[in-house]
Amino acid sequence: MFLQKGKSLGFILIFVLILLVLIVLPFFVDFFYQTFLTELFVWILFAISFDLIFGYTGLLSFGQALFFGLGSYTVTILMRQFGFNTELSLLLSIVIPMIFAWFVGYFSVKLTGIHFVIITIIFAIIGNIIGDTWTSFTGGSDGLTFSPRPFRLGLFQINLMDIKGNYYFVLGVVAISYLFLRRMVQSPLGKVFISIRENEERAKLIGYNVQRYKLIAFIIAGGLSGLAGGLYSLTLKYAAASYLHWSVSGHAVVYTVVGGMGTLIGPAIGAGIVMSLEHYLINFLQATDLVVGIALVFMVLVAPKGLVGLIQSKLKRGKTSV
Amino acid sequence: MISNLAIAILNGIVWGLIMALIALGLNMIFGLLHIINMAHGALFMLGAVVAWYLIELTGNFWIALIIAPLCVGVIGLMIERGLIRTIEDKPITTIICTFGIMLAIQHLVLIIFGGSPRRISPPIAYRFPIFDLQYPLMRIMIALISIAMMIGLWIFLRKTKYGLWMRAVVQDREMAVGLGIPVNKVYMWTFVLGSALAAFSGILAAPIVSVEFMMGREVLIMAFIIVIVGGMGNLEGSVIAAIMISLIQGIGSLFVAPSIATVFALAFMILVLMFRPQGLFGE
Repeated sequence: MFLQKGKSLGFILIFVLILLVLIVLPFFVDFFYQTFLTELFVWILFAISFDLIFGYTGLLSFGQALFFGLGSYTVTILMRQFGFNTELSLLLSIVIPMIFAWFVGYFSVKLTGIHFVIITIIFAIIGNIIGDTWTSFTGGSDGLTFSPRPFRLGLFQINLMDIKGNYYFVLGVVAISYLFLRRMVQSPLGKVFISIRENEERAKLIGYNVQRYKLIAFIIAGGLSGLAGGLYSLTLKYAAASYLHWSVSGHAVVYTVVGGMGTLIGPAIGAGIVMSLEHYLINFLQATDLVVGIALVFMVLVAPKGLVGLIQSKLKRGKTSV
Repeated sequence: MISNLAIAILNGIVWGLIMALIALGLNMIFGLLHIINMAHGALFMLGAVVAWYLIELTGNFWIALIIAPLCVGVIGLMIERGLIRTIEDKPITTIICTFGIMLAIQHLVLIIFGGSPRRISPPIAYRFPIFDLQYPLMRIMIALISIAMMIGLWIFLRKTKYGLWMRAVVQDREMAVGLGIPVNKVYMWTFVLGSALAAFSGILAAPIVSVEFMMGREVLIMAFIIVIVGGMGNLEGSVIAAIMISLIQGIGSLFVAPSIATVFALAFMILVLMFRPQGLFGE
């Protein structure tokens, strides 16, 4: 009990510290890096939403790109075509992907293992093909551009056309989502997810309706992936059918596996490291995915629990030797 | 119209036979090692790319058709021995691992080979008339070579010692170990054979489509569809499903947009996954 308290106190301290650093950072770096960091926050949200379904519930979903793309299109089309305000569009970029996730999940969670992986890929491909074909609505591969209106909440207002304003907005939303997910995985609901990952049969025998809980995890993860897509479009002021391609889910897979699945902080660290690496490599290597692919294979083979797992086992060894 | 239909049917059969070879490789690896090889499409592409270099070097398509699969087979050997062997019993982990291999191969090719598509011109340029249109003889050749390859594979699986071992391992792994079959070696050769098959079909496909680093991406998905519809582990089912799906797509795209036809094929596949996960032709 005491340990638990100490742990969460430590977490709050570190979380606030990181947040403070990120709040003052834009005053020291130029627009280019502000945009880079904003995109990083978005991918962190995408990665941790994937971590909920894969790392905690044990379901490898390559379909998250579908929800990412849907969220991105929700924001873009609502603001461009229908003149919605930012608050409502962003809210719907969670709700609409959740509805789709409910539909996709209804079929998918009945399957296990490899079949689950493949059916999620198929749904994403269908989404991608429809996005590519229905050009009058989605802009196809050319995509759609728009300019977001300021975000208003009471007297509080943020101009999203301003790079710094956008930075703080995305940082805030991602930080809140992170806390939400962290709270969730520590709640009884989260414990059920973990028990399904660890031993599905046993969870069933205890009396949990495993498929229903899988569906719940899938819907929540879908909603947050959608939010990530919505924020991505707000940042780039753009959406395209390519966001729906199943390989976009690969980003989340890479960040989560490199950082350490089932930890939330792992995927965030993974996204930071991999994106920085890519950003650095692009200077002299046209195809950075070569290094990303090698890193992924290396981590899977050498450190299946990711960087966080590596650090944890190092710490544990240090403690026991004392 | 009738000539268009005839050509659609011919194209469907030719492409279906190529897809059957790709799917056979994927399905053999799945049936035996229980691995979904996400890098299979990349190996298909690698076959075509290696062949392109070999043709530049020797000027002969047929030499490339024999040597390139051997090269890719060696790469498959390195992948299986060096990377996948340690995680063979964890299906989900192998999916992630082979996804990484796919990324690495694709982008290595992008660096070396470049991003722009290139052509391999068919070694037989003759075209024969069908009604009022012309059809390249090379495609008929490709179909015949694919059929010959499949017959060879069938003989290999039914009549040779290795084939017998492979079928034994599929049926009962524990028992196969008990009988003294070198299961580990059988895994290795199956993966090598699957990789070489992917490369072989890549070269056969090269004169029809263009060679570029992403050419395996959509093919991988088609191969998945075929393997699932035909039944995972069911090799005959894969061949039937490949030709069936290619024909439906080919003829269907005469009447509706190809993308719509694909969406229907995918929706159909979801139904197969839900209600007949053993495939249409399984018991």
